[in-house]
Amino acid sequence: MSRSIAFRSLFIGGLLAASAASVTAFAATPQSLFNDNCSACHQTTGKGVKGAFPALAGDPFVQGDPAPVMATVLAGRAGMPAFKDDLSDADLSAILTYVRTSWGNKGQPVTAADVAAARAKLKAGKKPASLQAH
Amino acid sequence: MGDQSTVVSGGVLTRRRFFEGLAAFGGVSLAMAGMDALGFGFASAQAAPPKLEGDAKGTKVVVLGAGLAGMTAAYELTKAGYSVQVIEARSFAGGRCQTARKGFQHTDLVGNSQTCEFDEGLYINHGPWRIPYHHRSTLHYTKLFGVPLESFVNDNDAAYVYFEKGDGPLAGKPIRKGEIAADARGYAAELIAKAASKGQLDAPLTPEDRDLFVAYMINEGRLSPTDLAYTGTEGRGFDVHPGAGVDPGPGKPSTPYSLTDVLHSKAWRVLSSVAGYEQQRTMLQPIGGMDQIAKGFEKRVGSMIRYSCVVEKIKQSDKGVKVTYRDKFGEQDVIEADYCVCTIPLSVLKNVDADFSKPFKAAMSGVSYAPVNKIGLQMKTRFWEENHFIYGGHIYNDMPGIGTITLPSTGWQGQKGVLLGYYAFGGEAAKISAKPPAERAAFAVAAGQKIFPEYAENFENAFSFSWHLAEFNLGGWAEWGEEGRKTAYPVLTEPDGRVYLAGEHLTYLGGWQAGAIESAWQQIGKLHARVIKA
Repeated sequence: MSRSIAFRSLFIGGLLAASAASVTAFAATPQSLFNDNCSACHQTTGKGVKGAFPALAGDPFVQGDPAPVMATVLAGRAGMPAFKDDLSDADLSAILTYVRTSWGNKGQPVTAADVAAARAKLKAGKKPASLQAH
Repeated sequence: MGDQSTVVSGGVLTRRRFFEGLAAFGGVSLAMAGMDALGFGFASAQAAPPKLEGDAKGTKVVVLGAGLAGMTAAYELTKAGYSVQVIEARSFAGGRCQTARKGFQHTDLVGNSQTCEFDEGLYINHGPWRIPYHHRSTLHYTKLFGVPLESFVNDNDAAYVYFEKGDGPLAGKPIRKGEIAADARGYAAELIAKAASKGQLDAPLTPEDRDLFVAYMINEGRLSPTDLAYTGTEGRGFDVHPGAGVDPGPGKPSTPYSLTDVLHSKAWRVLSSVAGYEQQRTMLQPIGGMDQIAKGFEKRVGSMIRYSCVVEKIKQSDKGVKVTYRDKFGEQDVIEADYCVCTIPLSVLKNVDADFSKPFKAAMSGVSYAPVNKIGLQMKTRFWEENHFIYGGHIYNDMPGIGTITLPSTGWQGQKGVLLGYYAFGGEAAKISAKPPAERAAFAVAAGQKIFPEYAENFENAFSFSWHLAEFNLGGWAEWGEEGRKTAYPVLTEPDGRVYLAGEHLTYLGGWQAGAIESAWQQIGKLHARVIKA
């Protein structure tokens, strides 16, 4: 087991470990949460990718009744993945509020309690992620 | 067990007895037919394509997509006398059945452009990468097309388990899976055996069964038969390996971790009494890359495929289907057919101008698609084999965005190797895919460095792929929620007019090549029955 201990000290001393730690220590703002979790598809501009990922900026659905918007993000729909197992109520509410009020959008904010209620309605409790897929 | 099942007890006819009766009465063939009818068959819907008997009358079928579903349909329909054309958006066939090797190019939807720079002979299967032994449909074609297979190491006792989020001294430390397995099972067996031997278990054991149960626990946990203690076992490895003479001679046994350390590490999460059905041994892979299967199909149906043609419109009448596509020169063209087998993923199909019925269109929204990331990392030495004695298998871990790190099951003891640096899906995958390729590689290398001290210094180059950012996929695989399965899924498994959908998304084998093949088999079976009846 001396081998494993050697790994550990190397890891702690390593430069790479330091940079990895600084990434996780980065304080999450609503914008950074959106950029981290959503921008790969919807882009940091909220403009999406034409023909593939819908624009959130200026979209009436995004700014309208929060119930279907929350349901979409929690459970996925029409190609969009489900985020219920990846994000907390607080993070989801921060992201949704950011999306509904950024890029000229004029939607009402969403609270963590709203998301919790929507989650309960969907019976979308957190399931432990499996270690393997396909 | 075998003897018991031949006995008719209390007038109950057992299955085995029933089949034996058939065999005695009508010979083996009748018994076989009976087994097929009851679903124990040798020619079940999972094992062989449907028999398309009768005159296809030269019926024209246009197949959308030259992935495994599309090429299966094209291959089988052509054999049955249909006239088939295949429209494929990419410049190559295979769909998600792809392999990246030197020169393979990919530009994702947001403009990240990569050319694979692996050395000659190295590759990564960034799409499907393993074939369970019971995926008989996939294995039907590998055999038929002469695609040679090799073992895919899906379980390796020597591979490390690395759990950061546990606590105690084993957290954040690479531990060999065999050590955790021996210790967790050994201690569990010890506790149960001791309780059972004192009659403290509630289980209704007769005295004889109790002795057998304790014997089983001794065997399971490698316990001392005298005091039922677990004190380690040679199966978890040695501190000094046994060898010649008196030194090292018998070697030095390893010392087990403590029960509490094992429990708190959470590394036991990688253990279960049996693997999930889809993950069991034996696991297989084509020699030389998964795309050998695509190439096997392409050799036979390639002449029917129009490459680099993107479907723009699907319109039907009661006489036929009209598909409008744009070719690689930007020209629009139309193909007309009697029927259409459409294998375009629903994530992409929903953006195509199609005159599907309202319920059909609504059903297409009932599914979500999984963001899926993979990355191949070329390493200049195979340090995991040379220094750690790990030949293939997975490094299970709980690092977000990594999923598993997997060592290659091919090219053992060669100079270099390409390992899978991450295989992640869902929100974690979306997050990493927002980074440009160089940063994805840096992320993967930093994670691997926590497990292998040689990781970063051996890293040479990377090829990453995000299926949700691939223009003609927009996701790794379809994910049906409970509600979608109930309401949307059944609608889409039936044709809409003259259009039949097929692909992994219309099966309970989601994300597997077997799903693509078996869905195609099922749909062309339905299509053919309709043509014969017409």
